[in-house]
Amino acid sequence: MIEIIATAESVEQAKALVATDVDTLYIGEDAFGLRLPKSFSRNEITEIIKIAHEQNKQVSVAVNAIMHNDRIKTVVPYLQFLQEVGADSVTIGDPGVIHLLQTHGINLPFIYDAQTLVTSAKHINFWAKRGAVGAVLAREIMYEELKSIGTKVTVPVEVQVYGATCIHHSKRPLVENYYNYTKEHKPNTNALYISEPKKPETHYSIYEDINGTHVFNTNDINLFPHLDKLVEIGLTRWKLDGVFTRGKDYVEIARLFAKAKQMLLDDKWTQEQMEQLNEQLMQHHPKERTLDEGFFLKDPSEVQ
Amino acid sequence: MKTMTKKPEILAPAGTLEKLKIAIRYGADAVYIGGNRFGLRSRAGNFSYDEMKEGVDFAKKHHAKVYVAANMVTHEGDEEGAGEFFRTLRDIGINAVIVSDPALIEICAIEAEGLPIHLSTQASATNYETLNFWQQEGLERVVLAREVSMEEIKEIRQNTDVEIEAFIHGAMCISYSGRCTLSNHMSNRDANRGGCSQSCRWKYDLFEIPRPGEQTSVLAGDPVEDFSMSAVDMSMIRHIPDLVENGVDSLKIEGRMKSIHYVSTVSNVYRKAIDTYCRDPENYIFKQEWENELWKVAQRELASGFYYGTPTENEQLFGKRRKIPAYAFVGQVLEYNAETQIATIQQRNNFGVGDVVEFYGPGFTHTYQTIEQLWDEEDVPIERAPKAMMIVKMKVNTPVKPFDIMRKRK
Repeated sequence: MIEIIATAESVEQAKALVATDVDTLYIGEDAFGLRLPKSFSRNEITEIIKIAHEQNKQVSVAVNAIMHNDRIKTVVPYLQFLQEVGADSVTIGDPGVIHLLQTHGINLPFIYDAQTLVTSAKHINFWAKRGAVGAVLAREIMYEELKSIGTKVTVPVEVQVYGATCIHHSKRPLVENYYNYTKEHKPNTNALYISEPKKPETHYSIYEDINGTHVFNTNDINLFPHLDKLVEIGLTRWKLDGVFTRGKDYVEIARLFAKAKQMLLDDKWTQEQMEQLNEQLMQHHPKERTLDEGFFLKDPSEVQ
Repeated sequence: MKTMTKKPEILAPAGTLEKLKIAIRYGADAVYIGGNRFGLRSRAGNFSYDEMKEGVDFAKKHHAKVYVAANMVTHEGDEEGAGEFFRTLRDIGINAVIVSDPALIEICAIEAEGLPIHLSTQASATNYETLNFWQQEGLERVVLAREVSMEEIKEIRQNTDVEIEAFIHGAMCISYSGRCTLSNHMSNRDANRGGCSQSCRWKYDLFEIPRPGEQTSVLAGDPVEDFSMSAVDMSMIRHIPDLVENGVDSLKIEGRMKSIHYVSTVSNVYRKAIDTYCRDPENYIFKQEWENELWKVAQRELASGFYYGTPTENEQLFGKRRKIPAYAFVGQVLEYNAETQIATIQQRNNFGVGDVVEFYGPGFTHTYQTIEQLWDEEDVPIERAPKAMMIVKMKVNTPVKPFDIMRKRK
């Protein structure tokens, strides 16, 4: 079983993604979910769930924000709404939300997703014992570690196989603060980048939203060339993140992953096929952004 | 007259056994230290089991507590040996461990039953339901995220009875703690396993990409200011009443890497302020001299973090920085003879005749003088004390006491 989970940026795109053989759509609203391509209204969420279910697809909703008191007070009605409209699962990163889900008897399967903190099988199993039906792995995990995690976890885990990866989340408005300091106007765009000192080739995306400021790694993740290895170690829930890859290009990339999935299941995956499809993937990837395999190929001893 | 019967604990950092003792002598009710493993300060002085034992014995004698930070976010295999580690800590008499990783929490709870667990700020606890969750899991205390405001603390206190610990002083992450891997990606150093390279404090270009391959810098200011994400430090000395009245159980000072000079000064100031407030809350007045004292050991500007609103540009390090007066720890008093007015001093930095020095000690005592006469251990007059740790005698104008610290402006 391989599951492809993809973010969606509109009802239209959700329809297109469902048609590509993506298994699960990942959506939400940004008062409760982190770094989504679009913050959907409840009507839109309802509509997307209906569209997905008509095609026997699933919808998972992001409830993985770090909640302060104001949000924790409004999250119960939100969870009840999601249960009513038939969301198949939610992601949660704040233990307070798990507590509420259980004390209010809300019947929604949850996937544990505390972003950078989810780095070991034992950690994931802790949440599995407390009801989690899955977990989302941190991006800073290497193949060798994934292999070990795959053998030890008691619930399936998601691996991000495509898209931008957040490496810094501040509650402060860091870009706004900078422009306030310089007394100049903030550029009217969310497409800003920072580069490291003496590394002008780097281009870390940075933007602000109601959850604060988010910085993304200079290269987006692409594990397309390594999907067979993920299958081998039993990590077959693959997440695609479209926060910076928009419109039809993103749908095409999702289609390529869905195709890869089918070929792997049919045992028809070859190096040649992979390279050809990966080439197509790169054609659809935004030209101003670069790709690499993230931490996948690093040696655990490299990062201390 | 109203008095506060429930004083919050002052929790100070201790990178070494010497710092542990100094922190407690200077007013800390509890200290937190690191063991040889599972901590987040791989380069801070960390304690062996024997040193922990000595620290615990010392603390007990002074009615103080010792906590061990084991707040690493473990990867596969890192948790090996954790059970034995926690059991040993418990048997040594450590009062609690500060943990953020659920894997370690579980190991500790199962394998070292009876050792209280505090949730580290690394887990970013920001609401009362999260605190209720962890209390139900058996945790004794939760260290709040630094992003929590005073109003939120008030509400948290009303909705949970687990112990609350909050940071009151020191350096702070600009991200939600634990939610930053800049260091991992930029330096191959794991921020959540003690390797943080503080990439947030670097200077960055900020730009747009109008067309692939092109970059248009949008840095601003005159002169042009680099983009940075560097937070100023926190100080809550002006807000002691709020912290006490809102029921914070433990007030935490950051800085296991910091010096004896720092730890003694900061502990001393908060001890004085909290005792002053709790003795007579109605007539309490903040004293500027407390803040001036903190400023002597400051490394950056000081602000109140998120307690009274989202930090603005004024709570970040931009532009030219105000010069911070730098003081050096030059000696520690070993003995004082009231008849002869001679103090025996262990040298910690070069000083000599003619220098203006300040003595401060537990209980917030302060005296100033110019050094007029100095002798070595054999009572031979000397002009300067240049050798590390050398023992000297000097004439003091006002009484001092053992463990008083002598500092000098650099």
